[in-house]
Amino acid sequence: MTITHDLLVWFSKSFGLFYLIGLSLIVLAYAYWPANQKPFEHAANAILDDDDKPYRG
Amino acid sequence: MIGELTKSERQGALLILLALAVTGLAMAVGGSNDPLGTHGTLVMVVAIVGTFAVITGYYAPEPPESRLDSYYDTPTKFGIVAAMVWAVIAMAVGDWVAWLLAFPEWTFDAAWASFGRLRPVHTSGVIFGFGGNALIATSFYVMQRTSRARLPDQLSPWFVLFGYNLFCVIAATGYLMGVTQSKEYAEPEWYADIWLVIVWVTYFVLYLRTLNRRKEPHIYVSNWYYMAFILVVAMLHIVNNLAVPISWGSAKSYSLFAGVQDAMTEWWYGHNAVAFFLTSGFLGMMYYYMPKRAGRPIYSYRMSIISFWGITFFYMWAGSHHLHYTALPQWVQSLGMTFSVMLLVPSWVSAGNALMTLNGAWHKVRDDAVLRFMMVAAVFYGLSTFEGSFMAIRPVNALSHYTDWTVGHVHAGALGWVAMITFGAIYASVPWLWKRDGMYSAKLVEAHFWLSLAGTIIYVFAMWNSGIIQGLMWRTYNESGTLAYSFVDSLIAMHPYYIARAIGGVFFLLGAIIGFYNIWMTIRTASQAQSQAEPDYSAVGIEIPAVQPGR
Amino acid sequence: MFGFHYRLERKTIGMVLGIIGVASIGGIVEIAPLFTIHQTVEAAPDMRVYTPLELAGRNIYIREGCYACHSQMIRTLRDEVERYGPYSLAVESKYDHPMLWGSKRTGPDLARLGEKYSDDWHVAHMINPRDVVPESVMPAYAFLARTELRTDDLGKHLKAQRAVGVPYTDAMIANAPADAYGQASPDSPAAEGVVERYGKATMVRAFDGKPNDLTEMDALVAYLQILGRLTDAAHKPVASAEKQP
Ligand code: HEM
Ligand code: HEM
Repeated sequence: MTITHDLLVWFSKSFGLFYLIGLSLIVLAYAYWPANQKPFEHAANAILDDDDKPYRG
Repeated sequence: MIGELTKSERQGALLILLALAVTGLAMAVGGSNDPLGTHGTLVMVVAIVGTFAVITGYYAPEPPESRLDSYYDTPTKFGIVAAMVWAVIAMAVGDWVAWLLAFPEWTFDAAWASFGRLRPVHTSGVIFGFGGNALIATSFYVMQRTSRARLPDQLSPWFVLFGYNLFCVIAATGYLMGVTQSKEYAEPEWYADIWLVIVWVTYFVLYLRTLNRRKEPHIYVSNWYYMAFILVVAMLHIVNNLAVPISWGSAKSYSLFAGVQDAMTEWWYGHNAVAFFLTSGFLGMMYYYMPKRAGRPIYSYRMSIISFWGITFFYMWAGSHHLHYTALPQWVQSLGMTFSVMLLVPSWVSAGNALMTLNGAWHKVRDDAVLRFMMVAAVFYGLSTFEGSFMAIRPVNALSHYTDWTVGHVHAGALGWVAMITFGAIYASVPWLWKRDGMYSAKLVEAHFWLSLAGTIIYVFAMWNSGIIQGLMWRTYNESGTLAYSFVDSLIAMHPYYIARAIGGVFFLLGAIIGFYNIWMTIRTASQAQSQAEPDYSAVGIEIPAVQPGR
Repeated sequence: MFGFHYRLERKTIGMVLGIIGVASIGGIVEIAPLFTIHQTVEAAPDMRVYTPLELAGRNIYIREGCYACHSQMIRTLRDEVERYGPYSLAVESKYDHPMLWGSKRTGPDLARLGEKYSDDWHVAHMINPRDVVPESVMPAYAFLARTELRTDDLGKHLKAQRAVGVPYTDAMIANAPADAYGQASPDSPAAEGVVERYGKATMVRAFDGKPNDLTEMDALVAYLQILGRLTDAAHKPVASAEKQP
């Protein structure tokens, strides 16, 4: 019955690598997606604003 | 405080307290000849006191509709004070156990006073009591500000804070009575664990509800880090604490896992407690308070997002570096080592991002001890993650594991990073929250800073030395090919370092006590200032950053 | 009040699912194969379970936080093997709920402590460590010798252990309190039952030197004397050849 154990270990090792690469690509794409730049800029600066009231409406 | 709740929330509070009192009673009766009974009584007393408090304020006028025009900050204020109380208590216990390792006679022949029972009071007290309260308090503050939304109700934040502190008290008193699961950083027994799950789910839902009311479409990155903290800690906590109690009337339970599986589950938990409790949450804190205090946006918002996913992803695999050369299969060890080394990348990106944010604001760092706390925290974050990745390499770990080097690494992270960023964030928010121009005494903040820094450096250097000496002594052979030193030889060599560490601890503790005093005086003068027509702010000598929300 | 009647908007949910997904996959992929590990782990047919007295001792070890200073995991490193004995095998802790491998050696490793010292030595050491090791920094546990051992709930302990997978029999569960007493009172009638249920190799002795009363000291010393001796697997040459790194 060692087959299942070996199989699982093999899967873990190989899948882990693909998963790592895939996820990195997704994250990089998200971070560098041109359309995302404006909201990022805005978010980074918005916290410095001092309009200290909740928004209601 | 009850006056801030609406009528229906007061009723809700009464119902919750009633349920809690009944639970406490059941525990007290069911576990009458067991520590569980003591805890039941404790829970019941707390619930009854709470009930009286609510009843006393029950007929107070309801809060006006205009409350919705401001953020709800009373829970944050409570959480900050609670964090400081825990800081002082738990660090005092930490220093006490540090002295115990140099002078082991100081246990008065009492079970509760021995090293093994007090040590988890220290670790849980600093991590959960101090760190946890600080995280919850600041997360309430940050999520409201960054979402431009008030907390959705007034009851659930209180449930989270009181419930959480009840958990901490049950944990700490339990250790003194000998109630522990023995799993590091997950010592509380099954009933405390269940209670924490209830509190934590409420916390999570509260966070989601606040985010859902936000004005901005984009969620500010601090919230991602806080969210990861909440979610992953929940996941880890539930899995690692799966256990079968011996009966409903007993505090004792047996872990569902055994041996290798238990070890891997425990260190998957333990390492990610470091990652998501002691790192992710505090990074969220840093990404809000540091730019705010420096008056500059994060150096690279993009990098903060990339490193967020890097940290969330890599940390999960790294737990097995706690089990190098053990009976854990070797492929798991190698995997853990590889990912631990890769983990350095997002860690240093975060630390670098923080320090680059200060670029152009160095004069503020020089003049403002609060900002300096945050800067030093970022430096120590970089340092301890480098050290961690290094220690995760198998041959290095062969030397460092089981020695004081690990303890040195822990406290480089805990004192230098976790405690410093927290003190910085607390000093930044106290004047904002209590509507003051600055802290009661800028000089005392300065004193706290230098005491903390000196304490950390003494502590960490003492432990690096002792750890490496210990590790080397254990593996040194003499010419005839036998081990050169007995275990006791290495123990004797530790003595001076244990004293040095304990002295470093005194510095750090003194700093925390001064900080507590300073915060307390700021709060007191604030309430005096409110009653006086013309408050006197002349005592404040420090340059206040241009940005001061809440004023 | 805690109701969740707000429209869950896509971004938040996306973030939550993203975090859960990314965070859980790593753990699952790494840990799941370990639950099939018994397929590869050394077999130890001679492995026995803890007696009720030893289990009670183990619980005292946990209660007092001994694991904070003592490891029970000898690594596959030459100096450790020479200092402490054959390195620890996975199978040796298969009945340990929870494991007590530890992460810090303020004191020495205890994985092979069993029968290394006499009972008297242990009792003296627990009452005041500095009486036998003058430089020791270990706390004194004199109160253990004064404290009567609680046995009435030991049956429940064994039952819970069985629920998590330790093969205790019905007879073991039914006789747990008597067995605890018998193991520390060699001349009492209860002593025979212990050997019958847990095997001839079981140590039946007045561990604390006082055959008539059953103290926490009895339990703790009984546990310390069994450490590393539930199976001989680690002493077999095959095992050590197989696992050298
Ligand atoms: C006044 C400052 C402090 C002193 C004197 C101190 C002292 C100690 C001592 C003596 C130990 C036991 C080490 C051993 O078993 O050999 C310890 C462990 C520990 N402390 Fe502290 N501590 C302090 C602050 C903190 C803070 C602020 C944190 C976290 C935010 C922290 C987290 C920990 C952790 C996680 C451990 C367990 C380490 C391990 O298992 O390897 N400590 N501390
Ligand atoms: C890149 C990041 C990090 C890596 C790769 C890392 C790696 C390690 C390694 C290899 C150990 C020693 C395990 C052993 O031999 O038993 C360790 C222990 C520890 N680290 Fe880190 N570390 C990192 C960052 C941090 C940070 C920022 C903290 C914050 C406080 C921290 C807290 C701890 C604690 C509490 C332990 C002790 C666990 C125990 O044995 O009780 N680590 N870490």
